[in-house]
Amino acid sequence: MTKTGKPGINRRTTLALMGAGAFTVASPWVARAQAKTIKIGMPTILSGRVAQLGTSSRNAVMLEVEKVNAAGGLAGRQIEMVVRDSKGQPQEAARIARELVNTDGCELLIDGEASSGSFAVHEVARDIGVLCIHTCSEASSLTADPKQHIPNAFRCVRQGIHDSIAGGSYAANIAKAKGLKKWATCSPDYAYGRDTTAEFVTYLKHFAPDVEIISETWPKLFQPDYTETVTKILQAKPQALYSALWGGDLTSYIDQANIYAMFTQMEVFAVNMADYTALTVVKNLPKGIHSGNRYIKTYPATAENAAWGDAYKAKYKEYPTNWSWQNATAVMFLSEAAKKANSTDGKKLAEVLTGLTIKCPFGADGTVTMRGEDRTLVGYAIGWGTTIPNEPYVPEVKSGDWKQIFALEAEWKKSKGYT
Amino acid sequence: MSDLNVENRAGAAPFVARPRRTAYIDILFAVIAFAVLAALPFLFDSKALLDFVIRCSAFGLFATSLNLLVGYTGLISFGHGMFFGLGAYGFGLLMQRANVSIPLAMLCTLAITALAAVVIGAICVRLKEIYFAFVTLAFQMLIHSVILSWQSLTGGDQGLRGGIKRPVFWGIDLTNHVQLYIFSCALLVIGLLLMRQIAQSPFGYTLRMIRDNATRASFIGINVWRAKLTVFVLAALFASVGGMIMSLFVSGAYPEFAYWTISGEGIFINMLGGVTTFLGPMVGTVLLLILNDTATRLTEHYGIVLGVVILFFALGLRKGLMDFAVDWYRAWRDKAREQP
Repeated sequence: MTKTGKPGINRRTTLALMGAGAFTVASPWVARAQAKTIKIGMPTILSGRVAQLGTSSRNAVMLEVEKVNAAGGLAGRQIEMVVRDSKGQPQEAARIARELVNTDGCELLIDGEASSGSFAVHEVARDIGVLCIHTCSEASSLTADPKQHIPNAFRCVRQGIHDSIAGGSYAANIAKAKGLKKWATCSPDYAYGRDTTAEFVTYLKHFAPDVEIISETWPKLFQPDYTETVTKILQAKPQALYSALWGGDLTSYIDQANIYAMFTQMEVFAVNMADYTALTVVKNLPKGIHSGNRYIKTYPATAENAAWGDAYKAKYKEYPTNWSWQNATAVMFLSEAAKKANSTDGKKLAEVLTGLTIKCPFGADGTVTMRGEDRTLVGYAIGWGTTIPNEPYVPEVKSGDWKQIFALEAEWKKSKGYT
Repeated sequence: MSDLNVENRAGAAPFVARPRRTAYIDILFAVIAFAVLAALPFLFDSKALLDFVIRCSAFGLFATSLNLLVGYTGLISFGHGMFFGLGAYGFGLLMQRANVSIPLAMLCTLAITALAAVVIGAICVRLKEIYFAFVTLAFQMLIHSVILSWQSLTGGDQGLRGGIKRPVFWGIDLTNHVQLYIFSCALLVIGLLLMRQIAQSPFGYTLRMIRDNATRASFIGINVWRAKLTVFVLAALFASVGGMIMSLFVSGAYPEFAYWTISGEGIFINMLGGVTTFLGPMVGTVLLLILNDTATRLTEHYGIVLGVVILFFALGLRKGLMDFAVDWYRAWRDKAREQP
């Protein structure tokens, strides 16, 4: 007699399969509930012409995250960074930000996007309610415009309007002392260049009303040849020049203007000069260029700032950038907020972050504040000085006056209809 | 009408009945495709999947509309992205400033796009080959420059800020992720169906004739300029719908949407999927987005991966994936027929 098995699967197999199925379905929730690590997502630009923005931002974040993890993590949870390249495309930035939260399980976002990308990530934060700290976009409207205000988004970045007020005040003092009345401007032809230049000129004239702009040039972003721009300025014969060029554009401009001995013929004010990305790349850095501080380890002249700059250089074999200190500060804010809230919950962190003041190597007085009214960074070290060809590059920096900045910023907001 | 039917039965029937039957089959396919897509959110709990399909809808419509020019008419446009950008900006601005309903904003955007396409197309389609390509590129850069310069309207390089409002219409709430997904799928399926009907219509065959021999088409009485202008405007409208979907997805519009790189991506998608089959660009879109999402997840050297893939398709297959698949299938079928 032949024994025949029942068709299909038996009871034990069925139970085993049901158990395996239940485990598979439930495991993500079980794993999440038990997760000791907290994932923080970071969309940024890691390729293309401004890849240094992303790499130096990521480096700074990792440097600080290591410290936080070594000290026990974020409210007891170890941080795991998930950093992705948006290639500088806003639709990619939005896609990656959503994916980081929805698929990778990131509970917080550090937005290392510039310009339009940061606005795209801001909309994602508005849409899905995740806590987001912008760390690279200097566009003032990102937090000044009340249309942009959402309770879960913060900005840990210097701002164009702050730089312009501090720069206008500093430049007016030099103009008065040296009798510089005829000015020219040379800035990149896009929103940042035009806005920053207009604001600088406004505050320069506010402090020195007899200043006159006799020439304006607007080279294209990433323009390779500045001959036409340089000769136009030389022909106008201004006594001083303001420029909002930055990065590779600024270094190319200086190298090409050096051939025409431009820097011996006028005072030059370049707001973005005092950053190692420019200082260490220019072939012959002229003496006496006036610049706003972006990041230099000698300003603020504190042991903490110098130690941070040295630690960064020791780890990554290059100096930090302006983007680096901003990203590092964002992690410092998160760490302090998690301590105070004793939680990593986004809503609780957002409540604590609003108006929070922390100790920071990059603060004007050793502290920085996340201003409550517009959730933006204030109190960071801001100043202007003149360059020398070698380290420390900008030996003396005259600090900006934050009281003056606050007063004029409030007026500026009114004039824009923001308040 | 009865005379026509008699005539059809007498001899012309195959030429009339076949397109009609094909149209019914297309509608059936479209309904099935929409049903499958609409079922996905209920089968898979993955927001990333829904995001992926929404982006496929935007780029799929854009790339397929470009193929109406490239594959069907032989007009290689390097500036098709301008209509994608116009769609995103037109729709975004109307929603932000005019306080109108979503359907009305979409219709107005289509009207603006059509007007722009008529003006630009009337100049461009007179030109041939490389001249056409370069003038379309020039118009694209002009529109991109206007977007950057007209800051008070467009927000300059920072794009449209403050989000795009999505008021409820006909019971559809596009702030709901699943409803936005289904709405995007509906636009995709309807858009593809309409483009398919254009491609299979007598007008579509006129376009093929123009592509193959414009002089001959002209000699048999076809107004080549008018036909080219018509398809240029139609393609612009579908690209504009793609832009609108993208602006809904990112809740904004950015100058990058009207930059030449978007047109470049459209050309690349067509290369990847193939231009001789209707669904080639759609397959190319899915491939490119999978490639993009996977490569950016695994490596920072996205450009190298993309370059290798381009080389594989350009030097290895020498055609798009769908073209290759169709050729392979035909060869296999012919071989099978030859065997006793």
